[in-house]
Amino acid sequence: MTQTDTQVVDAGTAAGVSDAQRRSGSSVGETAPGLSVIVRVTERPIPPDEIYRECSPALLAAEPDAEFIFAVEPWARSLSGALRELADAGEPIRIVETVRGVGEANMLLEATALAKADVILTMPSYHRVDPAELPKLVTAVREGADMVVARRWPRADNWLARLRTRAFNRILRRLVGHSTSDIGSGVQAMKRQVLEQVPLYGDFFRFLPVLALREGFSVTEVDARQHTRDPSTRVHRPGTYVRRLIDVLGLFFLVRFTEKPLRFFGLLGGTLAFIGGVMLVVLAFQRLFAGQALADRPILLVALIAFTLGAQAIALGLIGEMIVNLHVSRGRRYRLRDSDEDR
Amino acid sequence: MNDSTALDLSVVCPLYNEEESAGHLIDAIRVALGDEIRWELILVDDGSSDRTAEVVLSDDDRRVHLFRLARNYGQSTATQAGFDRARGRIVTTLDGDLQNDPRDIPLLMAKLEEGFDLVVGYREARQDRLITRKLPSRLANLLIRTVTGVPIIDNGCSLKAYRRDLLRRLHLYSDMHRFIPALAVGSTGAQIAQIPVRHHPRRYGTSKYGLSRIWKVLADLMTVSMLRWFGERPLRLFGFGSIAAFFVAVGFLLAQMVTVAEGMAGVVHTGAAVLFAGLSLYLFMIGLIAQVAIHEWAVRGGGGGDG
Repeated sequence: MTQTDTQVVDAGTAAGVSDAQRRSGSSVGETAPGLSVIVRVTERPIPPDEIYRECSPALLAAEPDAEFIFAVEPWARSLSGALRELADAGEPIRIVETVRGVGEANMLLEATALAKADVILTMPSYHRVDPAELPKLVTAVREGADMVVARRWPRADNWLARLRTRAFNRILRRLVGHSTSDIGSGVQAMKRQVLEQVPLYGDFFRFLPVLALREGFSVTEVDARQHTRDPSTRVHRPGTYVRRLIDVLGLFFLVRFTEKPLRFFGLLGGTLAFIGGVMLVVLAFQRLFAGQALADRPILLVALIAFTLGAQAIALGLIGEMIVNLHVSRGRRYRLRDSDEDR
Repeated sequence: MNDSTALDLSVVCPLYNEEESAGHLIDAIRVALGDEIRWELILVDDGSSDRTAEVVLSDDDRRVHLFRLARNYGQSTATQAGFDRARGRIVTTLDGDLQNDPRDIPLLMAKLEEGFDLVVGYREARQDRLITRKLPSRLANLLIRTVTGVPIIDNGCSLKAYRRDLLRRLHLYSDMHRFIPALAVGSTGAQIAQIPVRHHPRRYGTSKYGLSRIWKVLADLMTVSMLRWFGERPLRLFGFGSIAAFFVAVGFLLAQMVTVAEGMAGVVHTGAAVLFAGLSLYLFMIGLIAQVAIHEWAVRGGGGGDG
């Protein structure tokens, strides 16, 4: 994404000045804030100023110099007026507005580029967990975890929603190999380098903890009491389930086969072509030696369809392999531990 | 490359849970290489969960370097990580489990100096079980030799020596370490020699391989042969497939004419002809897309851009 896609509304001069004053005033201690809170304001949000009013007391009590960055999608822009007023009143708020819908991943990355702290707490503009629980996540990162995911527990919502969460995370773990028990909470604290080093784009944002694990970061979970108003805000339409399913399948492929697409397409195509091939051999045998006519047997078409589909899948896999091979020379495909070279 | 940092030899060795072997390995390499040549040992800890890194760090030889990957990436990527840091004029690889003998390294170097780009060791007297290790390995080697057309006796032996220039054009990923010679010949036209090397039975730990990799090796083999034979001309591969499918379609059409001439309904034949014509068209289009990918890659400087 280019810089022109977003604009930083420097939340009023008042905030800017007070920010600078606060920082120069405390020049004896740390200069950068210890925590950047990034709130993603996307589809049907709770008004972000409400989120700020609710979450800031607990967070500012624990982290007095925390900064809040609200990443706002275009259709939520009408909501940022109230935020701007808060910023003008001296609250540590900054607003990033995207010019077009760039997706949650890019919003988060853009906000991260502006964030000054090394520890980032990110959450959607929804009531997810009890605000009093948020500092726990930050503490866990300070104690050494690269990323900490809030698991909404104890849950306030009904058994159906709980079952949904459990099923989703179990499917994810089964397919991808690792997961957390509540990846959907969307409330996560992490070291800055997680966001800088995990390749993040599109809808895989939702699976940031899984991607972070894949990059070798340590990911832990912290129980955080579910917000009492969380259950009422989540009404899933059937389309949402379909999208989630597609996302998970995409992630499955990404994690297992990105470097070796032929292992997936080849298995699929090879199986189909093999089944088709065996059927064709049997049919040919019957035609040649048992004298059974072929022309009126649709099973021949089934065999041929299986065979040609198989061939197509293998061809696609080969294309995938070729593309991977063309790009391996560009950039590292591994991550070293933070100490980089130990000697 | 800067001359002051130029070394005669870099030994690259990936380690995965080799806490028992690592110390012995370093000692063996030190003894085998001596002090006459300028060498470095690059150990890549491939996300070990044991004390491998501590064992390596407890050795204070400044020629021994350790790089730790953030997770277990597998032998190919770990080896590539070592290559990325190797400074030697010659780079050799060996396994971290002491099954290779570092005393063979000077022999590999001597062979390389005869003018080869890559010298591959083969285990003459393999110390492994016949049924689970040696036999599958022999079959795999036969298959790889036949399909890639590169006559390598032992693709499973990690003991190899490379000229550094070759490494600049060779990029390991996924499980491609098994096919290094075929990749080297296919993409760089490297001159390859083979020499017999010693092989010791595994003394510590357990083997990191299983029999379950047959499918993976087969799929990778398809990829490698495609790259070896068609490399930058994928349209030829898909074009051949397309033409073959086209002829099958024509064959079914002819069969259709015969059946109709005999006074029978020939719906099935027509359907088959249409299917294969579709496959023919599809394969040709896939070939064109492949061409697009290659072209884009070449426009951006190809494979030699970043060295």
